[in-house]
Amino acid sequence: MTRTSSTPIDTRERGWAGGRLGAALGVLLPPLAAFVVMAGVWEAAVLLFEIPAYILPAPSRIWVSLIKDGGSILGHTGITLFEAVAGFTIGSCLGALLGIAFAYSRILARGLLPYVIAANTIPVVAIAPIIILWFGHGIPSKIAVTAFLSFFPLALNMMKGLQSYDHTVMDVFHVAAASPWQRFAKMRLPSSLPYVFVGLKLNVTFSVIGAIIAEFVQADRGLGFVIMTAYRTLNMPRLWAAMLMSAIIGILFFALVALIERLLIPWHSSMRDRVRG
Amino acid sequence: MAGAERPSPSPGEGSGRQAQVLCEDLQVVYPGEQGAKPVHALQDINLEVDEGQFISLIGPSGCGKSTLLRVLADLITPTGGTARINDHPPRTARLNREVGFVFQDAALLEWRRVLANVALPLELQGVPRAERQARARELIELVGLKGFERSYPRQLSGGMRQRAAIARAMSTSPKVMLMDEPFGALDQITRDRLNLELLELSQRQRMTVLFVTHSIREAVLLSDRVAVMSARPGRIIKLLEIDLPRPRTLESRETDAFERLARTGVHVLEEGFGVS
Ligand SMILES: Nc1ncnc2c1ncn2[C@@H]1O[C@H](COP(=O)(O)OP(=O)(O)OP(=O)(O)O)[C@@H](O)[C@H]1O
Ligand SMILES: [Mg+2]
Repeated sequence: MTRTSSTPIDTRERGWAGGRLGAALGVLLPPLAAFVVMAGVWEAAVLLFEIPAYILPAPSRIWVSLIKDGGSILGHTGITLFEAVAGFTIGSCLGALLGIAFAYSRILARGLLPYVIAANTIPVVAIAPIIILWFGHGIPSKIAVTAFLSFFPLALNMMKGLQSYDHTVMDVFHVAAASPWQRFAKMRLPSSLPYVFVGLKLNVTFSVIGAIIAEFVQADRGLGFVIMTAYRTLNMPRLWAAMLMSAIIGILFFALVALIERLLIPWHSSMRDRVRG
Repeated sequence: MAGAERPSPSPGEGSGRQAQVLCEDLQVVYPGEQGAKPVHALQDINLEVDEGQFISLIGPSGCGKSTLLRVLADLITPTGGTARINDHPPRTARLNREVGFVFQDAALLEWRRVLANVALPLELQGVPRAERQARARELIELVGLKGFERSYPRQLSGGMRQRAAIARAMSTSPKVMLMDEPFGALDQITRDRLNLELLELSQRQRMTVLFVTHSIREAVLLSDRVAVMSARPGRIIKLLEIDLPRPRTLESRETDAFERLARTGVHVLEEGFGVS
């Protein structure tokens, strides 16, 4: 039994690794094809029904607009991306710390949790002007807005994740005389990761939205600024190009977090389903 | 089989006549939560288990078998009486890594491979990596999981997971092994096979085992003594001496002596249930 039994496991793992490229293609191809079809229908519709550009610019016009001042839009995109990533990182880290504090201190959680849940429901558009007033013009205030948005989802998910451990596993650690730090680092933290990534993925979306909305309120650069100025001058292809760029950074950012998730918690059931499907 | 280091010496050792596990008038009352009545789980438990003995606990559901093991593993504090392991309170015994526990659910860490799961208690103890892995490999072979060191728990069957949990519990070479229905969720064939392996392991390692089961035949096959408990509050109503010759095999179950013991066990058990 011992000699032959190792084989099926090995092949399974090899099969999984070998199928990676094929799996990636399988994931990427359908949406790409759908994109081509949609762009084609859109282009044809604009031509056919002679839709004016300020209502709906054709994909080709958006593309031209993007190429024409591509350098400028790319620069604005970089700024928005930087604000989103920096705010995401700061907010998520601070949120994780608060989540850990909540998971370990019932009093703290009892006292503050209602406010955190309430704060989590404040709309960005309401809080962004206030934060910008506090942090002044420029990039730091945009980072503060995205950090604020990233803070609460991670605090809540971190807390929930740290509380979601298997109690029998905790008993195993207890019988093995594990220290509180060992329980945290080797048990509660790993079991919390699926929740943490739910929070992080929420934050990816929030932080891009947050950065752009903060730029709406006040900015002289960034995609939000481009969208606002393009709207005022009714330069719709430019507005659409900026929107496209914001979608692209959102997708790339999300893909990065999803990739890290996959590398960190391949053992989790949601990951397993994805490997199989 | 180099044992893991232990932080403090055990005075109970060497004196020979000292019971390894000792319960005196042990009592556990769970406080009733939110207006519910307190639950008398254990009442007047007196038990002495000598070194190397295999004792099974059997009794109606809810009679406090798990509770008794949890007291000995220092997972709960008794409300009365004393429990001692190697003449230490359970807490000291636990901190000295003298106790191993196998739960009904294997409770492996899903994010660790079998090797790292089995080595976990040694890792928590601070045993260097190379040493703990060597020990873990030894145990993995011992429980028949060789070749699965690098598998994740989800890639194992229920029986294999339970073997990994047994290997993990054995990693610190505990003197006392507490097993709470470790084979409860397995099919008969797998259960028989693991019973055989446990018979051999416990003899070879000279472990003291407290084994909870619902199967009187399993208890008789494995044990030196079977403690039959009554329904709540749980008491030990009878200690059956199992004098079947060792080494035992599955065929031991086909002897008249075995049948007699099993029948006696069933009768006592029925008394405990309140069936007349
Ligand atoms: N944490 C707890 N709080 C309150 N009551 C408890 C707790 N754990 C167990 N009990 C009660 O104590 C009694 C004994 O429980 P225990 O789990 O020890 O029984 P058991 O003999 O192991 O049963 P089974 O064979 O079903 O596993 C039960 O009536 C149960 O309801
Ligand atoms: Mg039980």
